[in-house]
Amino acid sequence: MDENALIRRAQAGDATAFGELLDLHYDTIFRFAWKWCRHRVNAEDVAQLACIKLANSLTQYRFQAAFASWLYRLVISCAQDWQRSQKRHEHDELHENLPRDDETQTEDQIYLEQLLDELADLGEGMKETALLVHAEGMSHAEAGVVLGVSESTISWRIHVIRRHMGKREARVGEGA
Amino acid sequence: MNPNPLEKLLQQPAPPPDPAARVAARRAALAEFARVQSAPVADSAQSRGFFQALWARWRLSRESNSHGRDSMPWYSRRMLLGGAASICIALVGGMVVWQTLQQDPRITELQVAETAHESHPAPEPEPYDAQSSAASTSATASTEAAEPDVVIAQEAAATAASANEQAQAAEHELARQAAERSKDEQQARAVVAPMAKSQGPAVEGTEEVVVGGLRESLANMMEAKRDTGGAADAVTSADIGAMPDTSVSEALQRVPGVAVAKVAPGSPPAPPPVPGTYREEGRDRFEQFEINPVKQVAEEPVSTFSADVDTSSYSFVRGQLNQGVLPQKDAVRSEEMINYFDYAWPVPESRERPFQPTVVVSDSPWKKGRKLIHVGIKGYELPANSRPDANLVLLLDVSGSMNSPDKLPLVKQSMRLLLGSLKKTDTVGIVVYAGAAGVVLEPTPVGDQEKIVAALDRLEAGGSTAGGEGIELAYQLAEKTFRKGAVNRIMLCTDGDFNVGIDSTQELKGFVERKREKGIFLSVLGFGQGNYRDELAQALAQNGNGVAAYIDTLGEARKVLVEEAGSSLFTIARDVKLQVEFNPATVAEYRLIGYETRALKREDFNNDAVDAGDIGAGHTVTAIYEITPVGVDARTVDESRYSKKIERPHVDKGGKAGEYGFLKIRYKLPGENQSRLIEKPIVPTGEKVSAEVRRDVTFSTAVAGFAQLLRGGTYTGAWTYEDAMAQAQSSLGDDAFGYRREFVQLVRKAQAARGL
Repeated sequence: MDENALIRRAQAGDATAFGELLDLHYDTIFRFAWKWCRHRVNAEDVAQLACIKLANSLTQYRFQAAFASWLYRLVISCAQDWQRSQKRHEHDELHENLPRDDETQTEDQIYLEQLLDELADLGEGMKETALLVHAEGMSHAEAGVVLGVSESTISWRIHVIRRHMGKREARVGEGA
Repeated sequence: MNPNPLEKLLQQPAPPPDPAARVAARRAALAEFARVQSAPVADSAQSRGFFQALWARWRLSRESNSHGRDSMPWYSRRMLLGGAASICIALVGGMVVWQTLQQDPRITELQVAETAHESHPAPEPEPYDAQSSAASTSATASTEAAEPDVVIAQEAAATAASANEQAQAAEHELARQAAERSKDEQQARAVVAPMAKSQGPAVEGTEEVVVGGLRESLANMMEAKRDTGGAADAVTSADIGAMPDTSVSEALQRVPGVAVAKVAPGSPPAPPPVPGTYREEGRDRFEQFEINPVKQVAEEPVSTFSADVDTSSYSFVRGQLNQGVLPQKDAVRSEEMINYFDYAWPVPESRERPFQPTVVVSDSPWKKGRKLIHVGIKGYELPANSRPDANLVLLLDVSGSMNSPDKLPLVKQSMRLLLGSLKKTDTVGIVVYAGAAGVVLEPTPVGDQEKIVAALDRLEAGGSTAGGEGIELAYQLAEKTFRKGAVNRIMLCTDGDFNVGIDSTQELKGFVERKREKGIFLSVLGFGQGNYRDELAQALAQNGNGVAAYIDTLGEARKVLVEEAGSSLFTIARDVKLQVEFNPATVAEYRLIGYETRALKREDFNNDAVDAGDIGAGHTVTAIYEITPVGVDARTVDESRYSKKIERPHVDKGGKAGEYGFLKIRYKLPGENQSRLIEKPIVPTGEKVSAEVRRDVTFSTAVAGFAQLLRGGTYTGAWTYEDAMAQAQSSLGDDAFGYRREFVQLVRKAQAARGL
């Protein structure tokens, strides 16, 4: 079934079409959400937020960019909102006591979470860029479309990230 | 070799989604979808229902957290919902009062308002007063913009509550219900939806409460961004004063990615610097070094150094002196001052032997009895038709700091001059760097000059500097269009300020060095003053087998890029090292003038792995030793009472006995890895040379003396600027381009500056 036709039907108010659209893309949404927050329950939350947001803003999709790109953008924005709300709740004990996913909680995962936090601190868009390029395997140009910046900006960010990693390695190397 | 752990970890697959979660998300989204479809967005913002306005505020208060203003605890949300509910109820109450009043035509509207005020302190329920209440709320919002929305809601709730006991009870009931349900955000949305439907008819026809000021502006800005699928950014402001900025341009900077430079492009350029006026200064950085001390031949008979053809020190010194300031001592490198001038050293005939050394011995003007030994080298000139093609990548700094008449505009003019001295088959690419690096012009044949000039003309300065990234991009471009047999060179034009990006000079040097092995060389052209990082420019050029030149005027650009284009672009000998071994029997002390930053270890001379200076076509390299012959009463150190006997045996060494020393030069031809050796004895009489060479020896001595004076004149005795001037005047020669006359003027300026 043609995706654009599906989207048009959904935009016109066809709930079945919208449902199909959701079925088609939920996996992508969830996968990216999981990569963002590295936590099953949180990823489910983010994915659900994204689905709701999709329902709200599907009519605003104007077929200018690929739907996938547009969707990534939407998920990223949801994930960012979610992160902000998490920060707001940092002082509630609610999340601290939340049981961790056993399946994901390896040493690597802790390390990766730390890395992603560092990337987020590195500058705006760094974490997003790293996820899109390294985790989703996008080209710099595609990632640029999703994040609304030029391809060279993505290349630049990737370079900064690499350098950061390089420095980090060097630091760890010295420490060891 | 260094696998990026980030990439590896990120590529780990995500776990499959939980079907239950998928179903839940689907259900929630479909419910939302249904809600959206059943309540289509009204055409104009004016007719947005009250509920939607409230909804906008709700979202707004969530979003505003991103600005770090506050955090909204869960109980505030409860209060907000409660407040909203109470306002609705108060409005219903107001409608009822209005209905009652309508039935009694005798009561005027004015009385209505008064009655309302007496009985209800809050004007909220009065439709007539809705306008003023909106205004007051708006005023509250704008004056207390830093306060969360909740405060307003609470106020409204409080006033409304006091208006009606019954309403208050109802409100509490509603608030409690709402609070119970509002544990989950999505659930809350679901709760509000039916409320909107049920309240809808009553609410219609009332005025919308508009929260103005900064909050509204931020909301509109986000609203504008939310509605677009592509890349968009927006700033809205109801009035200029809404943003807490002092100017519109500051407000604009709230948009991510917008940088407003202090000097707008196209604005009139700053007036040219007037000598004596204040200029940014004191941040020019030079490698610090001590001048070469006098060495005892008995202790250290061998002097080894690398050739240096850079001339940037002279230009920098000239720039400073032209402003009436004496240059800082570390900016004065004697050998670069000396090598700035072209000397008439004899030129070799063949490329096989790219240069031949000339040794001239003369009396030292600084101390009676001492001698000067000039070692002169001139690389052969490449005839224009045998020049290899050049593949140049211009790497231009266009950061904000280049926005000065002696920087970017001069760079552009200089690059045009360079184009004039290139062949049609040469290619030129342009990479610029500021906050980020970018390719402005893919390598283009010089024949297509208009295109190159147009690309140059488009350049404007702005942003911060990330020199390291620019260099990498330039190398990428040069590698892409690498031409075998051609000269592949990057020409970096900068004010030397690499303030973002690569932080260690070492890292950058290593990078340049590795690329050099691949056959891509780097030259550095320095521009501007005040922030010039000479030591970095020098280091990069040295590691990139290139020249570091400092360009302060268009005339200097012409010298470097047109007259000396051959030497700047075409290397004829690489890793040129010089070594002089002095004969302790004839020479007591020696001192090398300059080359402090180029000193090599004795053992490095024969080690071909040690990098040294390169010589381009037509380059001249001049080194001057000041020696004290044995038996002359001009030594700085008294003769050793005990070691004398050890020196003696050398006297009987046959024909070598009379020599002052022995000169050895090692060099590599381009493309070779094995060094070649040139040897020559230094005899006390020197070589027989032409009058021209004699004259140039005199002139170079004047320059060397001047450089030493600028560095404090430790070894120049009673020699003064006047002597330098007189000596230079006497050896001007034909001086086709006026460089030597300019030198005389510089000495005069130094004299004047010293007097200040």
